[in-house]
Amino acid sequence: MTVISATAIRPKVKRKIDWWRWAGRGFLTFLLLFTVLPMAWMILTSVKSQFAAMQYPPQWWPSEPTLNNYFKLLDPRGRIGQDFLRYFWNSFYVSVLTTILGVVVAVPAAYAFSRFRFPGRNFMFFAVLVRNMFPAVVFLMPLFLLMRWMGLVNTHGSLILTYLTFGLPLSIWLLKGFYDNIPIQLEQAARIDGATRFQAFIYIVMPLSTPGIIATSIFSFIGAWNEYVYAYTFLSRDSQMTLPVGIQRFFTEFATDWPGLMAATFLMSVPVVVMFLVLQKYFVRALTEGAVKH
Amino acid sequence: MAEVVLSHVMKSYGSLYAVNDVSFTVEHGEFVALVGPSGCGKTTTLNLIAGLIPMSGGDIAIGDRIVNDLDPKDRDIAMVFQNYALYPNKTVYKNLAFPLQMRKLPAAEIDLKVRKAAEVLDMVHLLERKPRELSGGQQQRVALGRALVRDPAVFLMDEPLSNLDAKLRVQMRSELKRFHHNLNATVVYVTHDQLEAVTMADKMAVMNGGVLQQYDSPANVFANPVNTFVASFIGSPAMSLIPLEAAGNALISPEGWELPLSAMNARKAAASTTNKVILGARHSTLTLHKAPSPGSVPGKVYTVEPTGDVTFAQIFINGALVNISLDPTVALAPDEHVWVEFDQERLHLFDAETTMALAAS
Repeated sequence: MTVISATAIRPKVKRKIDWWRWAGRGFLTFLLLFTVLPMAWMILTSVKSQFAAMQYPPQWWPSEPTLNNYFKLLDPRGRIGQDFLRYFWNSFYVSVLTTILGVVVAVPAAYAFSRFRFPGRNFMFFAVLVRNMFPAVVFLMPLFLLMRWMGLVNTHGSLILTYLTFGLPLSIWLLKGFYDNIPIQLEQAARIDGATRFQAFIYIVMPLSTPGIIATSIFSFIGAWNEYVYAYTFLSRDSQMTLPVGIQRFFTEFATDWPGLMAATFLMSVPVVVMFLVLQKYFVRALTEGAVKH
Repeated sequence: MAEVVLSHVMKSYGSLYAVNDVSFTVEHGEFVALVGPSGCGKTTTLNLIAGLIPMSGGDIAIGDRIVNDLDPKDRDIAMVFQNYALYPNKTVYKNLAFPLQMRKLPAAEIDLKVRKAAEVLDMVHLLERKPRELSGGQQQRVALGRALVRDPAVFLMDEPLSNLDAKLRVQMRSELKRFHHNLNATVVYVTHDQLEAVTMADKMAVMNGGVLQQYDSPANVFANPVNTFVASFIGSPAMSLIPLEAAGNALISPEGWELPLSAMNARKAAASTTNKVILGARHSTLTLHKAPSPGSVPGKVYTVEPTGDVTFAQIFINGALVNISLDPTVALAPDEHVWVEFDQERLHLFDAETTMALAAS
């Protein structure tokens, strides 16, 4: 018996080049370079000496890499280190408080929008989203006047309140999508099984919405962590500055210490990047499960 | 274990009555099916018994207590949901343990009860799995296990079999019936499938448009439907209904024929508010003739559906489609002219105006 291998008799198909696929790859490569190159340049510059950073033609790869800039920034005994660490702490404190308060407000609000039918529900949900239809700067003056009236100018409270109003619409909207997707029968079952409405929420609904809560936390944290304009406007004391404002003020004084600035920028991006890497899977799940599917 | 009493229960959404003045009593240990088409208020009634939605009026008692204002958790009930409502983030073990934990039982006792329930339902090997790793039938079992682990006074079931495939549904149907028998449990069971209701229930509550139509044993509902809705809803194929006019001892058709009535049926027809009546007959009570014969009326064959041991035919009589079951050896062709004989003992007469069954005065 002769066995003819299937491959031997299959006619050779001329593989057509899929131009669209290659165009897509090319475009993605371009996008990748566009986002990665500045970051690479930031890291490379941060390990150069001041002299090496200013050379022309530029030194693409640092010939004598040094971590001195980082040591300076993180040294609590030096003046630079003291300032940087204080800014870092201010940013951290403001962002964490914004995040926690945001979750505390957004979770019950989103749950109520999802589960309860009350008069004005649609209007209120729309009203919550209206904030996101305007650029943030539009609210700069009104909010400044409001903060001054409340005596909150030059306090971190003004920033936390502002960041909350900016972060909450998205958080509520995202979490509502999550709660909409949790069958109401789960809560009913829990209530029949002996839980109060609140216990049903805590034991059954909350754990199921963890990805959503994590995702909204990331959003509000990043929003607060990176915010510049409001921090620049509401705060005037150097000791209160958050990182985005602080870095800028601090380094322009010294006639642009590029390596130092890049090192500080890199350190500033570390918490956000770490958070993304650790919580990435929740984040993706939240965006696909919570918001898109209704 | 306890009885459940509903008296004049109402549930309204604005001006719409989802449940309108419903009263019935589920005796201790009884299996009662709430049955009706979708939107008839059966699930709403079940949710009212469970306390998941507030009532607009009336009273519900479980055991000796009026439970109108009690939370679901305080009503001593268990519920099986159509989509099972298993807690997706908990293992089977924890799903079963949850009702006991909520009642603050000691851990050792919880463990004992969970393992016993798992044994009864033959799912000890599934205890460490998550619900999504189970088949539909297994999920159904877990849902049942979570209900019975606590030994509640009343079991409420909301279409628990409707998400299963046909074969499994029949199998679970007999298991549920057996389970009810073994536990002597009080069960209120919602279904839109009249066959499920007829096969499992001690009593059935037929609902339509939020109103309880009839509350009786399946045999009685089948034999003596109170109105045309119940008549056409219970039984498969459905009872055939033919609108006719009463004239003395006969029913006459605009088509020109007349059907003589027995003395008893003539008295029933005479009780009608107008002379318009509806004649109802189940497929098995009809006899087919290929030639005119006394007591039969003419019709024309519409479709013939052989099913193996019995053949169903639909026959046009006076503009209405009439179901009839035949011996499979009978040969019939569409559009053939036939004569149908009614069994005077087993035909039904309804008032065309009120749709209610007519009784001899």
